[in-house]
Amino acid sequence: MVRWPTHQHAPPAPAGEQPEDHALARRAGLGDRDAFAVIVTRHGPALYRFVSRLLDEPADVEDTLQETFLDAWRGLNGFRGDASLQTWLFTLARRRAQTHFKRLPASGSRPHADVTDVTDRLPARNADPADLHRQQDLLTALDAALRMLPPRQRSVWILREIEDFTYADIATVMAVSTTAVRGLLERARSTLTITMKEWR
Amino acid sequence: MTDNQDVLAQATQLLRQHTDAGWTAISADILHRALRAFRPSAPVRGRHELGDFFIASDVVVARLRQAIDAVPNAAASRITCTTGQHQQLTTVTIQIVAAYGTHLITLAQHVHAAATRSLANELGELATAHDAIHTHVHIGDVTDDPRDVL
Repeated sequence: MVRWPTHQHAPPAPAGEQPEDHALARRAGLGDRDAFAVIVTRHGPALYRFVSRLLDEPADVEDTLQETFLDAWRGLNGFRGDASLQTWLFTLARRRAQTHFKRLPASGSRPHADVTDVTDRLPARNADPADLHRQQDLLTALDAALRMLPPRQRSVWILREIEDFTYADIATVMAVSTTAVRGLLERARSTLTITMKEWR
Repeated sequence: MTDNQDVLAQATQLLRQHTDAGWTAISADILHRALRAFRPSAPVRGRHELGDFFIASDVVVARLRQAIDAVPNAAASRITCTTGQHQQLTTVTIQIVAAYGTHLITLAQHVHAAATRSLANELGELATAHDAIHTHVHIGDVTDDPRDVL
């Protein structure tokens, strides 16, 4: 009988370290609820950050995330790992969020908010000298500026600048070409730079 | 970098580190509701002393996964069930990930034995009859990351 080597080269896993996404997806796909809970805990905050900046109503955000994770739980047994788990989850979320956009202009190329409304909502840079308040104001300003962007530009900017997706992964999530991703991102960056100029 | 870009960069950095309070408020509910959702799956016939019963193939798969994951140095990566006439389970194909350096034939035997025990527990005498269910073990991957086979 052929004997395979029995020695181990791999170092032991650090205590308490969680499995990688692909292992969690595999287990959850076979019905492991604990693995699915880790997936929700790991990716939920980023998905919330993404969806809550695409949709205005908190109830719509919650519904979208609920539907996203339901889709994930039901679909993980068919997940083949062609894309990463993170890309797959964001794709599910983008599709679910898009159903709410049907109330908005269909092209997705027009701003979601009025320019005057947004600039009026930008907090003044010197409104509060305390750093914590300044940071909160800065975040509020960015959120307000993001609302000015058309949904597709906003999505692409968040995926690239906040979630650090590659252009190829963004293209997968958004179902567009990488060339389109570059264009959308460029326009989003320009608009945000100009809008944030108001924050002084 | 201009002042405008600097402000945007600062804001971007803050958002990267930010966890919305809204997520904290709804995360437990979202998980709970997702796990309660019905996952449709085909019925599989089992038999005990009082007669026949049906069990969802999803449940059979989940129990098989538990049994296989309990085998040291192995983790299930895909499990498929095939049923024949009258929803009787005829074939189970188990794809596993094996830890690098493990004796694969021995590992496959252990996985096969664990699967047989699990099927007997779930399906009763329909699983224990000679040649009732063909169980195939396929080693689909070998990993050097111990977390993959925990």
